[in-house]
Amino acid sequence: MVSLLRNQKVRNALLQVLYVGSIAAMVLAGIAIARQNLAAQGITSGFDFLFKSTGWDLNFSLLPATANDPYWWYFLIGIINTLFLGTVGLTLATIVGTIVGLARTSSNELARLLGRTYVDIFRNIPLILQVFFWYAVITHLPTPRAAHEGWGFLLTSRGLYIPFPNVSSAALAAATLAVIAAIALPIWLGRTSRLSLPVGQRGGIQLACAAAALACAAVVLVAGRLADLPLLDFPALQGLNLRGGLRIPPEFATLAIAIAIYGGSYIAEIVRGGFKAVGKGQVEAALSLGLGPWRVFMLVRLPLALRAMLPILANQYVWLMKATTMGIAVGFTDFFMIVALTINHSGQTIEAIGILMAGFLAINLSLAAIFNRINKAIALKGNQLRG
Amino acid sequence: MISGNRSSGPAVLIENLDKYYGTFQALRKVSLSVDRGERIVVCGPSGSGKSTMIRCINRLEQHNGGRITVLGTELNDDVGNIDGIRREVGMVFQHFNLFPHMTVLENCMLAPMIVRKVPRADAEATARRYLEKVRIPEQAMKYPGQLSGGQQQRVAIARALCMQPEIMLFDEPTSALDPEMIAEVLDVIVTLASEGMTMICVTHEMGFARRVADRVIFMDGGEIVEQAPPDEFFTFSRNERTRQFLSQVLGH
Ligand SMILES: Nc1ncnc2c1ncn2[C@@H]1O[C@H](COP(=O)(O)OP(=O)(O)OP(=O)(O)O)[C@@H](O)[C@H]1O
Ligand SMILES: [Mg+2]
Repeated sequence: MVSLLRNQKVRNALLQVLYVGSIAAMVLAGIAIARQNLAAQGITSGFDFLFKSTGWDLNFSLLPATANDPYWWYFLIGIINTLFLGTVGLTLATIVGTIVGLARTSSNELARLLGRTYVDIFRNIPLILQVFFWYAVITHLPTPRAAHEGWGFLLTSRGLYIPFPNVSSAALAAATLAVIAAIALPIWLGRTSRLSLPVGQRGGIQLACAAAALACAAVVLVAGRLADLPLLDFPALQGLNLRGGLRIPPEFATLAIAIAIYGGSYIAEIVRGGFKAVGKGQVEAALSLGLGPWRVFMLVRLPLALRAMLPILANQYVWLMKATTMGIAVGFTDFFMIVALTINHSGQTIEAIGILMAGFLAINLSLAAIFNRINKAIALKGNQLRG
Repeated sequence: MISGNRSSGPAVLIENLDKYYGTFQALRKVSLSVDRGERIVVCGPSGSGKSTMIRCINRLEQHNGGRITVLGTELNDDVGNIDGIRREVGMVFQHFNLFPHMTVLENCMLAPMIVRKVPRADAEATARRYLEKVRIPEQAMKYPGQLSGGQQQRVAIARALCMQPEIMLFDEPTSALDPEMIAEVLDVIVTLASEGMTMICVTHEMGFARRVADRVIFMDGGEIVEQAPPDEFFTFSRNERTRQFLSQVLGH
């Protein structure tokens, strides 16, 4: 018996059993206690509430929503809102971060100083304060009647109004898909092994595909335009209100700006680190071959820096995705806020939080999985590198 | 623009070259003339300015005084001159500096296609020819990280040759290599030398210097202390610093 306990494999197995067993016990006890408490308060547990109508309205939704819609539909809208805010916020943050990060690595002293100041300021102010700051700025913009105007854009305290094509929503969705295809198809064509053409000679097909997809988008937009209206709908004042165009509500704009600026300061550091990790030797080799500065940047520094950045960037994205939950601070109905409202109105706390966690887990695990794939695909081959 | 073969005069002409790093003077009034087809070996103790000198020739370092003329074109702030000279001057580095995200073939085809605007098919044919020449045609589709150090350095030589340069610069091409790989790289350089390539090679491989060099240059403290054909250099060196250095690299 004693000798059995000395066996390393037996010991490890025993520890595993103890560990898993104690966690299972804790979870079961938690569920039992929660059930008892809920029963005592007269709340029925379970997911039936998902099919009841909510009875409250949403201030932002990409899909049609009324108070009669069931909870599951609201959760779906919440996830889509979160994904939409995340996509816009992360894209803007990446643009800001790239610009600031490049400024920090430039040889221009002023650019470096500006970049550094930016990072120092926005990285060290908590996100929630920045959200409140931008919300205050936006809600103190002039009223629609005194709106700032330029190129058909209107900036007001009720949001940003931008010109928008006068087309049916179906055509709009189709055009969006076509634009996505225009980006995705060339990438896929460049990588697939189903084509017999060597990878280097696919530029023509890639271009043709992108052009065809973009042409499709244009045709769909023109074909789907609403009768008797100009193709582009410009926002304009009508009485006390603005009509026409697309309104980006202040809550969404606030969050997108805050995530872009705050996230941008972190991404800037990642970008800077990525470029610093590129070997001086590779750059010198490229220069000595007669490549100009732009070519050295595009063909050597950027591809190598990207490989150094991507794993850290993926973490940052996952983390910024979670920052979209700041929506609740300004009343943007993202997934988190919809869950919070659900808890208030239905009392189904545990179920709602379960759904919240599952939702974010799914979003972030997919994000991480996508990045893992990209990482693997572009990883440098071999282990003999020096210099 | 450089019209390599037609312009007369030395391949590389360095006159009174000064180079400072901050206040530290790395090169002091260095003068050197290298004829077309001449093979120069540069040696000297660590920190003597060997790398600095050859890196000035293709403007990886900017000189602070004196003149450098390469194939009749003066190396100054004129970007056109710099580009033109880099096109005609190939360089091989101590640490290979291959592009790790491109295959061996892509490493060799990149610059000819972009800088010389060679069509892809021709660039590939040239690349394969030079890979053959450095004796690794079978590695064309591999990535640098999948090759041994000696193979990587031979790819680096092929990459430089694909630009069809008039002049080759080597900065300690074998000092990052394990002993058994040194010979395979030196063999390639010897072949190149025997074909009449103008080359300046920084190295401590004295056997190699004896075999291929037309002239051996000894540098110390940022100056050229002595230069002579190898026979003379190794046997009748007058200078005290040279003799001391030689006894260190040749001794044991
Ligand atoms: N970027 C730099 N900044 C400051 N000092 C430098 C720099 N590069 C070289 N030096 C200095 O200039 C001197 C000459 O350097 P160089 O690299 O030319 O020497 P070397 O002869 O090639 O030596 P080694 O045999 O070690 O390669 C050295 O004292 C070195 O410390
Ligand atoms: Mg050196």
